[in-house]
Amino acid sequence: MNDRPVMIKASSVSKWFGSHHVLDSVSFEVRRGEVLAIIGPSGSGKSTLLRCCNGLETVSDGIIEIEGEIFADVRKGKAVKIPKDQHFIMAKKIGMVFQHFNLFPHKTVLENVIEAPMIVNGMDRKSAIIMAESILKKVGLYDRKDYYPSKISGGMKQRVAIARALGMNPDIMLFDEPTSALDPELTGEVRNVIKSLASDHMTMVIVTHEMDFARNVADRVIFMDEGRIIGNAHPDQFFEKQDHPRIRAFLQKLSDR
Amino acid sequence: MFHYILDVTAFIMTGCVFTLKLYAVTIVFAIPLGILCALLKISRYRSLRWPVSAYTWIFRGTPLLLQLIFFYYGLVVFGISLQPFTAAALAFVINYGAYLTEVYRAGIESVDKGQYEAARALNMSYPQTMRRIIIPQVVRRTLPPTCNEAINLVKDTALVVVIGLGDILRAAREIFTRDFTIIPFVIAACIYLLLTIVIVFLFKQIENRYKVYE
Repeated sequence: MNDRPVMIKASSVSKWFGSHHVLDSVSFEVRRGEVLAIIGPSGSGKSTLLRCCNGLETVSDGIIEIEGEIFADVRKGKAVKIPKDQHFIMAKKIGMVFQHFNLFPHKTVLENVIEAPMIVNGMDRKSAIIMAESILKKVGLYDRKDYYPSKISGGMKQRVAIARALGMNPDIMLFDEPTSALDPELTGEVRNVIKSLASDHMTMVIVTHEMDFARNVADRVIFMDEGRIIGNAHPDQFFEKQDHPRIRAFLQKLSDR
Repeated sequence: MFHYILDVTAFIMTGCVFTLKLYAVTIVFAIPLGILCALLKISRYRSLRWPVSAYTWIFRGTPLLLQLIFFYYGLVVFGISLQPFTAAALAFVINYGAYLTEVYRAGIESVDKGQYEAARALNMSYPQTMRRIIIPQVVRRTLPPTCNEAINLVKDTALVVVIGLGDILRAAREIFTRDFTIIPFVIAACIYLLLTIVIVFLFKQIENRYKVYE
């Protein structure tokens, strides 16, 4: 893994919301084809960290590099200006899936997938449809392509959201608690799609509350607490030989439930 | 008697043509004006927001009757002399545009911020996001209040008598003064109600068409 190119690199990233210190000098990197799971208690800054990686949140301090190029660089309150077109090219390498799907309700499943490739990448409708249909087949929703989001289940919605992100042909996929808004019996289908992406060697960062999922799919697990990364290890190491008391307490509490 | 009613109806209908013309012009221009001003009103630039705020304040805060008089008689003072219909159309478009601005602004603010984030994560620009994702949802959501405005507009067209234009109500009044019977007013009321039925029906059709995705 260590010889592969670094896809995302965060160096001493900090984030304040007002006086609230959400991220406290966080550093990590993700290599090509690697699946990174971020776990930790609510409010520990997991989602914020993820959102900093695609520019949905600005960083207050620190550096984020995407495939070796500076994506965000703020030092002592001074942001280095990244040229717009350069920023756009980097941002396009990243796809994101949200906890609440955020599908476009006025567009059908197929239209959700072809929208951005058409208007952002200038793809013609015909090729966009061919591409979208093959992605929808992959996530098992080809037969629902003409449904509106309101007419399909939560698990299907999340699979559409994944298809929509894949439509932009990203190098990296970010997942912000992709199964947290789903009924337990619907999480499996979403997990399976993510697993199939992992076996296709998609680089992924997944914020999750599902420990079994993190253990099964991730190559590495990061644990965040109060805006800091306090654990970073291979899942076997992380779950079996955990020696950090705070993390052990967290895992213990979850398994007691 | 039957012939009398028929004749009166035919006469009042000549005023109806004017009402419909004014109605069409107002709808066609006031809706885009409302959307445009709503977009300016949610802008992060103060210099774009405040002129729109002043606009909606003035045109929602003064009687439409007064605005009509201003556009027809008042502008003459500034050397601008408009045809009665132009003056009426201008007053109606600007007045209804002000109300619709607030309708659409509220509509835009009611759209979940996850929609913006999803569009942003797909690298859509702000104009692309508004045009393709937000505004279509806003138009759907604001159909009921827009329908309200559309019904008000039918009745407000009667105000044009103050600048000497003939509409349904004026035609009815002319017959009333000639024959001294309330029949023309009853007929006028029926025509207004019919127009309202048509408008409500049309909006219902549009709402149903959009219902598929709810």
